[in-house]
Amino acid sequence: MDTIKTLLILIPALPLAATLLTAVLGKRVLRRQSHWPTVLAIGLSCAASLVLVFQVQQGIHKAESEGPSPQVGYEKVVTLWTWAGVDGAYAYSTSEPARGFRIDVTLRADPLTAVMLAMVTLVSLLVAVYSIGYMHDDPGYWRFFSYIPLFVFSMTMLVSVSNFVLLYVFWEAVGLCSYLLIGFWFQKPAAAAAGKKAFLVNRIGDFGFALGLFLLWTTYGTLDFHDVKLAAGGEGTAATVVHHETEIVEDADQPGLVRAGVLGQTMLRDRALYVTGGVATAICLLLMLGACGKSAQFPLHVWLPDAMEGPTPVSALIHAATMVTAGVYMVTRCLPLFLASEVALQVVAAIGGFTALLAALTALTQTDLKRILAYSTISQLGYMFLGLGAVTLLSAAGAVAGMFHLFTHAFFKALLFLGAGSVMHAMGGVIDVRRFGGLRRLMPTTHWTFLFGCLALAGIVPFAGFWSKDLILAAVGEQAYSHALDPQTQRLYYLLYIAGLLTAFLTAFYTFRAFFLTFYGEERIPREAGHHAHESPRSMTVPLAILAVCALVVGAYFELTHGFAHFLEQAPPLAMIAAEQATAEAGAGLGQSAHQALSHWWVAVISSLIAAAGIALAALLYLGHPQRVERLTRTLDAGGLYRLSRGKFFFDEIYDLFVVRPLQAVASLSFLFDRTVIDRLVDGCGLMPKRIGAALRPLQNGMIQFYALAMVLGLLVLLGTLLTM
Amino acid sequence: MSAETVRLLTPEIVLIAVAVAIFVAGAFADAPKWFRWIAGAGVALSAVALWMQHGAAVCSGPLTIDSLAYYGRWLALVLGALFVLLTARPLAGGGTPEYVGSLLLAIAGLMLVSGAGELVLMFVGLELISIPTYVLLYLGRRDAASQESAVKYFLLSILASAILLYGLGFLYGTTGSTELGEIHAALAGSRPALPDAGAVPVGFDMFARLALVLIFAGLGFKIAAAPFHFYAPDVYQGTTQANAALLSVVPKAAGMVALVRILVLAMPGLEAFAWKLALVMAVLTMTLGNFMALWQNNLRRLLAYSSIAHAGYMLIGLTVGLAPAIVRGSQDGVGALLFYLCVYALATVGAFAVLEYLGREDAPIDAVDELAGLGRARPLVAAAMSVFLFSLAGIPLLAGFWGKFALFLSALGVDPGGVSVRPWFVGLAIVGALNAAVAAAYYLRIVGVMFFRTPLAVPKAEGGMGPWLTFTVCAVLTLAIGAFPRPLLQAANDASRQSSVQRAAPDLPPVELAGRTGP
Repeated sequence: MDTIKTLLILIPALPLAATLLTAVLGKRVLRRQSHWPTVLAIGLSCAASLVLVFQVQQGIHKAESEGPSPQVGYEKVVTLWTWAGVDGAYAYSTSEPARGFRIDVTLRADPLTAVMLAMVTLVSLLVAVYSIGYMHDDPGYWRFFSYIPLFVFSMTMLVSVSNFVLLYVFWEAVGLCSYLLIGFWFQKPAAAAAGKKAFLVNRIGDFGFALGLFLLWTTYGTLDFHDVKLAAGGEGTAATVVHHETEIVEDADQPGLVRAGVLGQTMLRDRALYVTGGVATAICLLLMLGACGKSAQFPLHVWLPDAMEGPTPVSALIHAATMVTAGVYMVTRCLPLFLASEVALQVVAAIGGFTALLAALTALTQTDLKRILAYSTISQLGYMFLGLGAVTLLSAAGAVAGMFHLFTHAFFKALLFLGAGSVMHAMGGVIDVRRFGGLRRLMPTTHWTFLFGCLALAGIVPFAGFWSKDLILAAVGEQAYSHALDPQTQRLYYLLYIAGLLTAFLTAFYTFRAFFLTFYGEERIPREAGHHAHESPRSMTVPLAILAVCALVVGAYFELTHGFAHFLEQAPPLAMIAAEQATAEAGAGLGQSAHQALSHWWVAVISSLIAAAGIALAALLYLGHPQRVERLTRTLDAGGLYRLSRGKFFFDEIYDLFVVRPLQAVASLSFLFDRTVIDRLVDGCGLMPKRIGAALRPLQNGMIQFYALAMVLGLLVLLGTLLTM
Repeated sequence: MSAETVRLLTPEIVLIAVAVAIFVAGAFADAPKWFRWIAGAGVALSAVALWMQHGAAVCSGPLTIDSLAYYGRWLALVLGALFVLLTARPLAGGGTPEYVGSLLLAIAGLMLVSGAGELVLMFVGLELISIPTYVLLYLGRRDAASQESAVKYFLLSILASAILLYGLGFLYGTTGSTELGEIHAALAGSRPALPDAGAVPVGFDMFARLALVLIFAGLGFKIAAAPFHFYAPDVYQGTTQANAALLSVVPKAAGMVALVRILVLAMPGLEAFAWKLALVMAVLTMTLGNFMALWQNNLRRLLAYSSIAHAGYMLIGLTVGLAPAIVRGSQDGVGALLFYLCVYALATVGAFAVLEYLGREDAPIDAVDELAGLGRARPLVAAAMSVFLFSLAGIPLLAGFWGKFALFLSALGVDPGGVSVRPWFVGLAIVGALNAAVAAAYYLRIVGVMFFRTPLAVPKAEGGMGPWLTFTVCAVLTLAIGAFPRPLLQAANDASRQSSVQRAAPDLPPVELAGRTGP
C-alpha cells in the first residue's frame, strides 16, 4: 500500500473511529474525558492531511520534472471496494444494450482535495481543542465529542471521494451532523426549530442536487469523476458505445477500454466530449441549487442565521469554516461541467454577487453578535461564488481566488466565531451586542484576536482577507472590462463588480460596528454573566491565538509566494483551463500578464480605500456619541430602509406566507382526506378477510363424518372439472 | 437385493434398525433418557452414512438417488435431530421407547419417499410416516381430546391413503408400470402431440388425468391442502406441541416431494390441465388457511391454519413446475418450493419448540393471551418467537422472505410464449402477496401480545434444555438463511434442475431391487 492510499484512508478513518469510541464509551466510561479520542484522532488526521499535501506537491514536482505529459493536472485515484453494482441497470431503448451501474468507493488525491483536507482538519482540530473549555460543564459533553468527529469524517470523505453518488452520500451526512449539532440543545425550542429549518431548507437544495445527478447519469452514463479502465471484454456490455457515453480505446501499449469519468482525464483532454446547450445548463443549475442550499446562498440562505442556535464551536466549524464551503468545493470540482454552459456560470456569479450584497446589508443592523457573523459568512460565501462565476475558458483566476478566499475565510471566520463564543462564554450566554460593551480590558486576548479577525474580514493589508477578496474582485473586474464578452454580459459583470466593492465597504463597516460595540465604550456586563465575567481558559485562548496568527499570515504568505495558486492550478479542473489558456495564448501570441498586474494594483488600492472608509465610518458612529447613531437610524427608518435591513429583508416572513402556509394548508387537506376516505377504505379492506373467515367458520364443526364427506365432495368437484376442461 | 442397493439405503436402514432396537429394548428397560440418546445417536449415524454416500453415482430407477433425494433426506435428518431434541422430556404415562422409535420410523419414511422412484416404494414410504404418526398421536397425551384427535387423524388418513392408492392404481393401469421412469416414457411416448386445450379428453388421456386428480387429492391430505385440510386444526389443537410440529412438517415434506416426483417429473403431457388444478388448489388453500387463522385464539389451531396457508404458498411453486412454460424465469418453481419447504419447516418447528419450552407438562401453552408480556419476562425467548413469526410472515432479511420472494418470482417468470396463460401466473403471485399481507395480521398480533401487553402470568418455562436448544438452532438457522440465502437456494434449485434433466434423459443405470414389480 503506497503512502497516498494509506493517508487517504487514515484521514477519514481516524475520526470515524473516534466517533464510534466516544458514542459507545462516552456516557459511562469516558465522561469528562470524552474529548481525548476526538482531539487525538483529528490531530492525527490533520498531520496526515499535511503529509498528504506534501505528497501531492512531490507528485506534481515529479510529473513536472518528467517533462510534458498528456495528464491534465495531478490526480491519483484509489479504489477501495465496489459498494454497489447492478448489471444491465439501464437501457435507453430496447435496441440498445443495457449498461451496468456501479458505485466504487474511491478516494482521490489532487491539489483541490489536499487543500480542503488540510483546511478542514486543521480548523477542526483547533475548534475541538477550543470546545474542551467551551463545553466543559455541558451535560451532553460526550455527545458533543461524538458528533464532532462524525462531522470531520463526513466532511473529509465529502472532499476526497471520487464519485457523485458518494459525494451525495456525504453531502447528506454533513447535513445530518449539522442538524444534530444545531439542535444540540434540543430542549430549547428555538434550537430544535432551527435544526429542522436547516434540514428542510437543505432538502430543497438536495432535491435539485439529486436531479442534477440523475441528469448527469442519463447524459454521461457514469457518475465517476475519474476514468475507469475496463478489462478487455469484461463487464458485460460496457465495451459498446451507447449514446453519450464515451469509451475510448487507450494507447497500444495499454490495451483495454476506458470508461470516461465525468471529470476524468479523457474528458478534460478533449472538451468536445462535454455536452453543451440546454442539458449542460440544466445540470449545472441543478447542481448550483444543491450548492445554494448547503452554502446558504440566495434564495436558500435563510437557514444559516438560525443555525447559530447551536453551540458556538459548531457555528465556527460547520456553519462558517467548513461545511458551508462544500457548495463552493463542489462547483469548483465541477467547473469543467459549468464551463460547458455560459449561462450557468453567469448565474453562479449573479447569485454570488447578489447574496454577498444582500447579506451584508442585513448584517448592518443585527444586534446578535453571532448572527452578524452568520450574515457575514453568507456574504463571504457569496464572494466565493462570485469568483467562481468569473471563471472563463481562458482564465482560472476566479476559481483560484474563490478557493483561496474559502481557505483564508475558514481561518478568520473560525477565529471570529470562536472569539464571539469566548465573549458569550464570559457573558453567561448573552450574545446581544446592546447588552454588553467595553470588554477590551476584561478580555484582552479575546479583544486582540477578535481585532485580527475583523481586520482580515474587512480586508485590510496585510491580513488574509485582503489578499483573497482582492483576487476575487480583480477576477470579476477583469471580466467587467473584458473585450471578449458581449456587452450585455459585460454589463452584468460590471454590476457584480460594483456590488462586490459595495459589499467590501459594508463588510468593513458592520464588522467594526460589532467590534466597537463589543469591546469599546463604557464597560457593561449583563447580570447573567455572574462569576463567568473574565478571560476564557487556556484551551480557548490558545486556539484563538493560533487562528489569529493564521489570519494574519496565510493570505500574505501564500499570495506573495504564489504557493497556493501554483499548487491549486494543478487540480484537474483548473489545470484543464490552464491547458486551454496555453493553447489559446500560443495561437494568439498575446502577453496579458502586464495588463493583469496593473489592474490588480488598481483593485487593491480601491478596495483598501473602501474598507478603510467603512472602518472610519464605524469608528465615527460607534466610538462617538450614541445620539449620532440614533439620529441616523431615525433618518433611515423614515424611508423604511432600517426596518428592511433589521427585518432581514423579511425573507422568513415571505417564505412563511408564500411557501410554508400554502404547504400546510395542502397538508391539512391531505390529512383530512386520508382520515376520512383512505382510512375508512383501508379499514374496510382489513375487515373483509375477517368477515370471510367468519363465514367459513361453521365448516370446521369438528365432526369427522363431515370432514370425510367434505374431502370426498372436494374430490368429486375436482374430478368433475376433468370433464369440463 | 444387491449390495449396491443396501449401500444406498444405509441411512434409512440405520434409522429403522435403531428404531427396532429401541422398541425391543423398551420392553425390558425403563430408561427414557437413554432412549433419547440412542435415538440421537441413530440420527447422527444415519447422517454419517448419508454423508459417506455423497459422490456416489447418481442413479435412477426404483430407487432414485439424485440431488432431489439428497435434499429431501438431509432435510429429513435435520428435522429428525430437531425432533429428538424437542421431545427430550420423558412422557408422563410411559411409552417413551415406543414414542422415540416411531419418531425415527417416520423420519426414515420421509427419507424413503425422497429417494423413491417407484410407486410401491413411495407408498410404503408414505405409510411408514403415517402409521408411526398414529402411535405418536396416541402416546403424546392421554386425555380425551388427544384420543379424539388421534382417531380423527387415523380415520381421515386412511381415507386419504385409499384415495392415493386408487390414483396410483389408475396410473399403473394406464402406463403398465410402477416405475416412474417408465411411466414418464409411456406418457411422453404414447401421444403424438399435445391435445387441443378445449378438446374433451378420452381414453388414455382421461385415465391419466383421473390418476392425476386422485393422486393430488391423496397427497393433498398429507400437505393439508384445501379441501383435504379439515383434520389439521382439530388434530393440532388436541395433541402436544411436539406432535403438532411433526404433523405440520414431516407429512407435508413427504407429500410435496412425492407430488414433485410423480406429477412434475413423471407425468408429462398433462400441461394443459395439471397446472390449472394446482393453481386452484394453491389459491384456495392459502386463502382459506389465512382467513381462518385470523379468528384463532388457540396457538396450535392458529399454527395449523398457518401451516395450511403455507401449503398453499408451496403449491405456487408446484403450479409453476407444472406450467407449460417455454421461457421460465430466473427462479425455478420446484426449486422455490423446496427452498420454501426448508425455511417453513425451521420456523414452524421453532415456533412449536418455543411453546413447548414455555409450557408445563400438565399445562401446555394454549391461548395467544398466555404469551402476554413475554417480551419483558423472557426477552430472548420472545425474540426467538418473533424471529419465527416474522419469518413465517415473510418479513425481509429473514429466511421466510426469501422463500416467498423465490416463489413469487418463479410465478412471475413463467412465460409460455404464444399461450395467454401468463396473466394467471401474475394473478397467482398477486394473490400470494395479498395473502402474505393478511397473514402478517395474525402473526404480528402474537408479536404485539408478547411485547406490548402486560403479562397475565409469567410462563414457568419448564421445557428444559431440549426445546430450548431446538428453538435456538432454528432461530440461528432462520437468521443465517435470511442473511445468506444463496447456498440453500442453490441447493434447492440444483435438486429441482438435476432431477428434471435426469428424467429427460434416463440413461443412467437402474439399480436392481429385489422383487421388482411391473411387467
